[in-house]
Amino acid sequence: MAIQLKDKDAYQRMNYLYQAAHCVLSQNPENVELARFYCFTQKTIARRLVLRQDPSVKRTLCKKCCSLLIPGVTATTRQRRKNSKTRFTVLRCLSCGQSKTLLNDP
Amino acid sequence: MEEALVRATIPQDLEKLLGVESRPHPKAFTDAFLKNSLPQTTRCDVNNLLTHKALILGYSRPKKDKRKSKKPKGLNARQKRAMKVFQLKPEHQRYELFLPLHDLWRQYVIDLCSGLKPTSNPQFVQQKLLKADFHGAIVTVVRSKCPSYVGTTGIIVQEFKHVFKIITREDKLKVIPKRNSVFSVEINGFVSHIYGSKFEQRASERSAKKFKVRGTIDL
Repeated sequence: MAIQLKDKDAYQRMNYLYQAAHCVLSQNPENVELARFYCFTQKTIARRLVLRQDPSVKRTLCKKCCSLLIPGVTATTRQRRKNSKTRFTVLRCLSCGQSKTLLNDP
Repeated sequence: MEEALVRATIPQDLEKLLGVESRPHPKAFTDAFLKNSLPQTTRCDVNNLLTHKALILGYSRPKKDKRKSKKPKGLNARQKRAMKVFQLKPEHQRYELFLPLHDLWRQYVIDLCSGLKPTSNPQFVQQKLLKADFHGAIVTVVRSKCPSYVGTTGIIVQEFKHVFKIITREDKLKVIPKRNSVFSVEINGFVSHIYGSKFEQRASERSAKKFKVRGTIDL
């Protein structure tokens, strides 16, 4: 059970930073800058130590400006359709305008 | 001989009988007739060919249009500065906004140090704190080369390479350089001192860096 994680401290730190970004945004939804700063730090830690981030975390960060994407607060979500079957969720960052398209895979 | 046959004029008596007139210059007529009726082949026209001087022998492949990559390009430093990506607006600089952050940080540190009992090894805790994150910690400047910094207390909002940004109880954002100052962090009665001169890295780089055994600290 006790699998020794190699970079447990770093993972804890990244987790804390992710939570802190959420905390800051919940306190004041206008304070995008600070949340962005925390997410940026988190991203650079992951890059330095070559750690993989979970897709669920990765999909809530803007690739361009590193801000935390929360639908309705810092991002807009829309459903797009390509064919009759394939549908996509389009997340658009409100501060920089970068959008990411995710396939709806049930 | 055949040419003469073609151009032969119709005899006088026949001319009257048929009711036709022979042309006076049969050669000119046939030339014109042939020129009009024969298919015009420009390729065989040598005179025309010689006038085309440019002859391209090489074959250039039609260029493939480069597809524009949809990958987002990151912002560079100038764009970041222009956008004020990491600068806090003055209306967000309030102390009470950061109290939940401090609570979160407290939980994080206690979890990191696995309970943080008074019996735990201080060396172990220090090792952990070295790699920990300090955003959200309450910090006091204990010693500094500049005496006016001494005694300032606040929550760390941002950590940069050479500077801590601290928000004080009076809702002031203070920028305190790490060099030549000593900070103290307090968690559940456990007080730890941070030597700022040894901390002069970016917040993200500190987790990857190996720290050397403490050398001399002048202060």
